[in-house]
Amino acid sequence: MTADSVVLRLDNVVKEFPGSPPVRALDGVDLSIGAGEMTALIGPSGSGKSTLMNVIGTLDRPTSGEVRIDGVPTVTLSDAQLAGLRAARIGFVFQQFHLLEGATVLDNVASGLLYRGQGRAKRRAAATRALDSVGLSHRLHYRPPQLSGGERQRVAIARAIVGEPAIVLADEPTGNLDTGTSESIIGLMEELNVAGTTLLVITHDQDVAGGCRRQVTIRDGRLVSDTASEPRRLTEVGAAL
Amino acid sequence: MTGSGYKSAWRSRLTAPDVVGVGLYGIRGRRGRAILTAIGISIGIAAIVAVFGISSSSKADLLAQIDALGTNLLVVTAGDTLGGDDSKIPVAAPDMARRISPVRSASAVAMLDTEVQRNKYDESPNGLDVYASESNLLETLEGTMTTGRFLDEETSTLPTVVLGSVAAQRLGITGLADLPTVYIGDQEFAVVGILDPLTLHPDLDRSVLIGEAATTTYLGADLYPTRVYVRTTPEHVDAVRSVLGRTVNPGAPNEVEVTRPSDALAARAQVDEGLQNLLLGLGGVALLVGGVGVANVMVISVIERRQEIGLRRAIGATRRHIGVQFLIESVTLTTLGGLIGAGLGSLITYVYAQQQGWTIVVPVTILGAAIAAALTMGAVAGLYPAVRASRMDPAEAVRPST
Ligand SMILES: Nc1ncnc2c1ncn2[C@@H]1O[C@H](COP(=O)(O)OP(=O)(O)O)[C@@H](O)[C@H]1O
Ligand SMILES: [Mg+2]
Repeated sequence: MTADSVVLRLDNVVKEFPGSPPVRALDGVDLSIGAGEMTALIGPSGSGKSTLMNVIGTLDRPTSGEVRIDGVPTVTLSDAQLAGLRAARIGFVFQQFHLLEGATVLDNVASGLLYRGQGRAKRRAAATRALDSVGLSHRLHYRPPQLSGGERQRVAIARAIVGEPAIVLADEPTGNLDTGTSESIIGLMEELNVAGTTLLVITHDQDVAGGCRRQVTIRDGRLVSDTASEPRRLTEVGAAL
Repeated sequence: MTGSGYKSAWRSRLTAPDVVGVGLYGIRGRRGRAILTAIGISIGIAAIVAVFGISSSSKADLLAQIDALGTNLLVVTAGDTLGGDDSKIPVAAPDMARRISPVRSASAVAMLDTEVQRNKYDESPNGLDVYASESNLLETLEGTMTTGRFLDEETSTLPTVVLGSVAAQRLGITGLADLPTVYIGDQEFAVVGILDPLTLHPDLDRSVLIGEAATTTYLGADLYPTRVYVRTTPEHVDAVRSVLGRTVNPGAPNEVEVTRPSDALAARAQVDEGLQNLLLGLGGVALLVGGVGVANVMVISVIERRQEIGLRRAIGATRRHIGVQFLIESVTLTTLGGLIGAGLGSLITYVYAQQQGWTIVVPVTILGAAIAAALTMGAVAGLYPAVRASRMDPAEAVRPST
């Protein structure tokens, strides 16, 4: 793997939450993710997965260490610059979907481009394409409360990929879904990965992790294993759902 | 790529229409709450607009009345001498007044020390006065006749009278068909006309007017003017007023008084200020309470919408974007309230003025000021919630609620 294709690189990242005693949620994490990878971050509850995702996603700053996205060191960037970086280079998928309940499916997806200063027509055109790629072309004018959980997460995924970010970060994307729906969501993410999207999927579900070629395990804020294997493809199973 | 520079293409940006669209997002999703929140502001604004509207309409009505009567009529009356006796206006006063160029007409009346009765031997008091009058009095006062004609050159020399409206009523004379007469002293006078009421001159309504020549001929009285009525061009009222005393009584200008009858009416336009201030105060309190209500609702909204804020930060909103969003929301709420209030206040004014038979006057400046006040209120009320929203930690905000 060449340096050009590294989209994410963490060097000795430490995150400590104040308190007595302070909680060291990340304890010297080194991690490098290349373009086109689909990585699972596995670990028990409380091991630091969400903290790591927030630090990678620049929603939170590390106590020490360096986080580079697309080669750009982020710790010295201002809050507004980090916002711009997120708008341009990072897509998020959350366990609780975090959709705008008052907006249509189309506008929810288009909101992925909202803070890039693009006009609405352009955003909607891109959103229409993204919704097509997650199989929701028939739901453009629905609102989130009218959708099933799986459909909502597809909308969130479409929103994350609409701006073609360097990396999509998904924190427990199937945590609120039943098994069948989870499999279809993982299948969708695999499809997107095949089409070129770089993904980091946080999960404590072994089935979900099994869908990823690379698996990184975290325990007590430290990466304890990093293995690559042939992924067990779920695409065929998920296609029916 | 090893470049380590931050790419300016990555700057977070929101187009102007999106700033507005995002600012209205919260309101669109919660319309009922928005209306309820705006009501407090509406009531305050409505009260203020109605107070100003009603007082302006009433004032406008009074001023219209005054205008119709004319503000360009001055009256010269005899004042006191330095010694405290009644002074006299020189006989030449009306002629002198007419020499002031902006004076259109001037005419004198002289009160006679006598009484008027319907029948020769009747002596019951009736409160009516008798005046000698110049034949141009009607023109100077811009009065009108109910019936008959005013004294003219011919009738001024004959034993004829014109009755004021109240005088005619008290003497039981309603028309000229049966050739009514009245007695002044032993002399019988034919009634040749009855005046319409003169709003600014109730004393003349209670009077009987005789021509000057007839007065000398039939009653043999001295004719010192009691009052001189002076009609000026409207633009020069004040100038005439300042020189009138000196002109008609050069020897003792301080012994005559110059007044403007319409001033008394105009003073009425100012009297209700106390009540007006009280109502304005109440409107202000309602507005303030409404503003606190908006601030309160906005703070709750920020707490409720923690995850929306987190999501927006994740998709690239800056702190400023979040702050502006909530500020716009607050300003929109109060401006909405201001608009509803301005409409409501105008409606109250309309209904009230309609009842009073006034023309409706709602000053545009008041409407503008009311809406500006509502807008300012929104900015002030929204400031703290907006700052609070913008300072929310994004990692904290996206955390799942348990
Ligand atoms: N804001 C915070 N303040 C204090 N401690 C925190 C905070 N966020 C997370 N932690 C702690 O950091 C550790 C890692 O949490 P988290 O990253 O949420 O774990 P995971 O997502 O793997 O379940 C936990 O012990 C948690 O209690
Ligand atoms: Mg977690």
